[in-house]
Amino acid sequence: MPKVSLNTPAPDFTLQDFQGKTVHLSDFKGQANVLLVFNRGFM
Amino acid sequence: MAQLRQDYAEFEKRNTRIVVVGPEDENSFATYWQNNSLPFIGLPDPKASVLKLYGQEVNLFKLGRMPAQVIVDRDGRVRFVHYGHSMADIPENSEVLELLDQITQPVGGA
Repeated sequence: MPKVSLNTPAPDFTLQDFQGKTVHLSDFKGQANVLLVFNRGFM
Repeated sequence: MAQLRQDYAEFEKRNTRIVVVGPEDENSFATYWQNNSLPFIGLPDPKASVLKLYGQEVNLFKLGRMPAQVIVDRDGRVRFVHYGHSMADIPENSEVLELLDQITQPVGGA
């Protein structure tokens, strides 16, 4: 079941990208929309 | 992923960053990004911390993790959530782009 609801603040998270750069979801706040894609695996 | 790659410019026009989160490690991401010339941000999440936070469904008996897409607007709010029920169950770009049109303020405005 969905754990995030529409029109509520998106849960922030911090991960490193595959080149080692730290990315926070909140980095984009006030800057850009984000399309988060949860991938299940590469072919 | 190829579907998003194809319309990348359309997402850019709508001031939208594409952020891909997945269970693979950074080497798998790097290889896949290189082989497919992907312009997206790629975030390996082998511990599935974000996947769990956002409630990506896991079907242990069939296909593993199901795809999911979430649109977060500039104000950090969730505007769209799609939880797939199968590998192929991802929204059409046109559907996502239309929604982005609704939430994106035109830049400049001339």
